[in-house]
Amino acid sequence: MNFSCCWFNPDRSPLDCPHIAEGEEHLYSAPRKRFVEKCLNCNWFQHDIAEIPESDPLKRIVYILSEEYKEQKEHLQALSAFLTSKSREIKFLHELSLVLQTSMELDEVLSVAMTAITSGKGFGMNRAFLFLIDRDRNLLVGHLGVGPKDYEEAWRIWDEVDRSNFSLKQLSSEFYKSRIDSERAKFQEILEQLSVPLEDAGHIFNRALRERRTMQIDDGFDNPEIDQKLVRTLGVGRFIVMPLISRNRSIGILLADNFVTNKPISPRDLQSMQTFAFPLAFAIERASLYGRLQEEVDKQIQANRKLQEQQELIVRMEQMAVVGRITASIAHSIRNPLTAIGGFARSLLRSNNIEERKGYLEKLVTEAKNLDDVLEEVISYSQSLHPEMDLWDLNQLARSVAREMQPLLDEKGLSLTLSVKEEIPKTLFDYKQIAYCLRSVIHYLTGLIPRGGIIKLESSQKDNIFRLSASDSYTRLTAIEKSELLTPFLNAETLGEGGGLALCQIILERHGGTLAIEDLPEGGTRYSIILNKEVQV
Amino acid sequence: MSRILIVDDEASIRLLYSQELADEGYKVDTAANIAEALDLLTKNSYDIALLDIKLKNESGLDLLQKLVKEQSEMAIILSTAFSCYKDDFSAWLADSYVVKSSDMQELKDEIKRLLARKIAA
Repeated sequence: MNFSCCWFNPDRSPLDCPHIAEGEEHLYSAPRKRFVEKCLNCNWFQHDIAEIPESDPLKRIVYILSEEYKEQKEHLQALSAFLTSKSREIKFLHELSLVLQTSMELDEVLSVAMTAITSGKGFGMNRAFLFLIDRDRNLLVGHLGVGPKDYEEAWRIWDEVDRSNFSLKQLSSEFYKSRIDSERAKFQEILEQLSVPLEDAGHIFNRALRERRTMQIDDGFDNPEIDQKLVRTLGVGRFIVMPLISRNRSIGILLADNFVTNKPISPRDLQSMQTFAFPLAFAIERASLYGRLQEEVDKQIQANRKLQEQQELIVRMEQMAVVGRITASIAHSIRNPLTAIGGFARSLLRSNNIEERKGYLEKLVTEAKNLDDVLEEVISYSQSLHPEMDLWDLNQLARSVAREMQPLLDEKGLSLTLSVKEEIPKTLFDYKQIAYCLRSVIHYLTGLIPRGGIIKLESSQKDNIFRLSASDSYTRLTAIEKSELLTPFLNAETLGEGGGLALCQIILERHGGTLAIEDLPEGGTRYSIILNKEVQV
Repeated sequence: MSRILIVDDEASIRLLYSQELADEGYKVDTAANIAEALDLLTKNSYDIALLDIKLKNESGLDLLQKLVKEQSEMAIILSTAFSCYKDDFSAWLADSYVVKSSDMQELKDEIKRLLARKIAA
């Protein structure tokens, strides 16, 4: 027999094997592996098997083994290709899911999707067009097109991509940063031409959406069911139309073709693209919703800013109103005594008998004193803004004020009982201002209590809270009355009369304290000057 | 002799006005609050009422509304230390509005004008 194969022919070396390529040199020294991978497809080996005489039973067996092996190998190769395709699909879906988790930007999501469809590292289609549903206009609107416009551009781009060796993620990132706007502009005209009204039920875009299935067209130019304007605009008769549906809601459609290579779209490619249609639709919907949400948030922020400006304006106006009210109150408090002083003085000047109107002089003195009191109160108000803090004994202040108020109490026929908690430690406050507060409270009570009434003055201290309370057992105030009492300059009559409880409240707030007005269970009202050592300013 | 009612919570103002207007030849009564004023109005008839707006815890404007309804023959002058009440709609019910001043000429002129109008009517 004339053997050709390197196994049997001593003149043939494995080095002569035409099937061992560069990088497979290890097969020279691995005969078993070389046999399995190369020999069964080698013509020399097949020739040598054919040379085995028919009478040799091994010839039949070797032939069966050889054919079976080749068949299994083809299966394995097909399986490998399938796994490669699935691997690519999983990789793409993984990258898409990463974008889903990290990006709320519609253009960023689309960059990944369109790059994946059109790059060789993805689905390898030549071009892709995205159409989104505009419900306001009832239109399927061309949103983005990606891919080369002609042959030259195609080869240039593919060459660049090949040389760059970018991953899919890098490609999409680069696309998002520098190419998306130019791509959009490049296909603007086509996108506008291909926009379709949603009521055009026969259009393939609407059919794909309605039937919720991918449509593969191989004969667009000759297919009467396909809009010829679409085919002419695309310039190809072979393309796929994929509906994008998220949670039963139609988002849009994706059209992909092989405009440059005119390569047929394999069922496997189609299946892979369908797999990623759902997450893509979900991502687009989510990004769109986020975009709209962002718009609403921006509107809300704008509205809040305007509201804040309005509030600031109102506060400024209120401040101006307060200033106006203070001015009017002071003017009122000054004008009354001033009218009396001027009036009496004029009357005296005109009078021929001054002796007869001598009583007017007393009125002049009284009204001048009233003016002094008004001035004192205005000054107290301005001083209340800057208390002079020092350590003082609250009981000493209570005793001193009680003594000071005795003439007024006598005049009104009232009495005051003083009950102090001994050994209250000294605490920080502005003596003059707190004394003013206590005087104001007592003065206010003298105007309410009937003759013969009693004012109870008490001091107490618990932890950091120091309290001076004046109470009666006759009056009862409504909540509105209590609130009005503490509103500055609400009643101009209080100016100069020492009844400025609102001023007391301001003073006490400046001290980190408050003026509390409480109903007593047994009847009457308690007015408490409260100082808090913890929050003293 | 024309009769005038002065309603003002300030004792000095009551004294001053009553003296000045008495010197002008009017018969003058005074009230320190609304209750006193209403009491006098049930007993006497007045040609003019001179009302202060701020009466301690009462409002002269409340009395004004009551008098406009029940004493339509009587002219009413609002006299107040506030000038801002001129913008209050309630104040428009009065026949005249005079801001308190040590120079009482404006008040006296208004009284004369209103009395003359009353006679002409």
